[in-house]
Amino acid sequence: MFVYEKKLQYPVKITNPNPKYAQIIISQYGGPDGELGASLRYLSQRYSMPFPELKGLLTDVGVEELGHLEMIGAIVYQLTRNLTPEEIKRSGFDTYFVDHTTGVYPTAASGMPWTAASMQSKGDLITDLSENMAAEQKARTTYDNILRLVDDPDVREPIKFLREREIVHFQRFGEGLRLATDKMDCKNFYAFNPSFDK
Amino acid sequence: MTRGMILQRLDAVQFAMWELHLYMDTHPDDLAALSLYKKYEEMNEKLVCEYEEQFGPLYGNSDPGASWLKNPWPWDLGGSC
Repeated sequence: MFVYEKKLQYPVKITNPNPKYAQIIISQYGGPDGELGASLRYLSQRYSMPFPELKGLLTDVGVEELGHLEMIGAIVYQLTRNLTPEEIKRSGFDTYFVDHTTGVYPTAASGMPWTAASMQSKGDLITDLSENMAAEQKARTTYDNILRLVDDPDVREPIKFLREREIVHFQRFGEGLRLATDKMDCKNFYAFNPSFDK
Repeated sequence: MTRGMILQRLDAVQFAMWELHLYMDTHPDDLAALSLYKKYEEMNEKLVCEYEEQFGPLYGNSDPGASWLKNPWPWDLGGSC
């Protein structure tokens, strides 16, 4: 089960609303490399993980990603407060606004709604851990791209925090993969999938 | 301490705890990490008590009803710092 903690992992306090930034950053809420996909990827993969270290790692990182989803939601929410119809039209936020007003909705910046097609749960620990390492790097690149487009330090600080978490998770998943292969057949890691073969 | 000051310290202490927690998922036998974790855990307990006494529950089960519902929520402007 999960217990909610009534605070963010890292503070979000954005003085100046900016709908254009919101339209970009929403991709980390519901885009292909966003926090919702990250969380569901790890929390789904953990069931077929054979070793306790990996069950723990996927649970813990999956839960942290839910906290990141909440931070992105807070950033988008604060960036879209007190908007006038003129600001909405001028910024290009109108295409999001017409469907969701200023509600926070899981979609990519390009308009594609969140889809499970952007993630995998393969039931094979080498495959899943390799996917996760790639996923962390894809999310890190997305945060780098956001930092290329956003100047406001109020927005950049929490985005920089989230970017660094991707790097830490990549490191931990790499260690997870090493722990896994240490316990497997060192002559042929692929001879036997401990998630399925008995 | 103001709400913002306690929250900032909670963020810092809980960040350290969480980093050690993830590290110990892949290094479960590192006793130095565990003792560092316990040090931060003690600091966290004190800060959580101090926060909840003055500003209401951080966890849903600690005090449901009016004080749980009280603004600000974490995503509100000024809710997280």
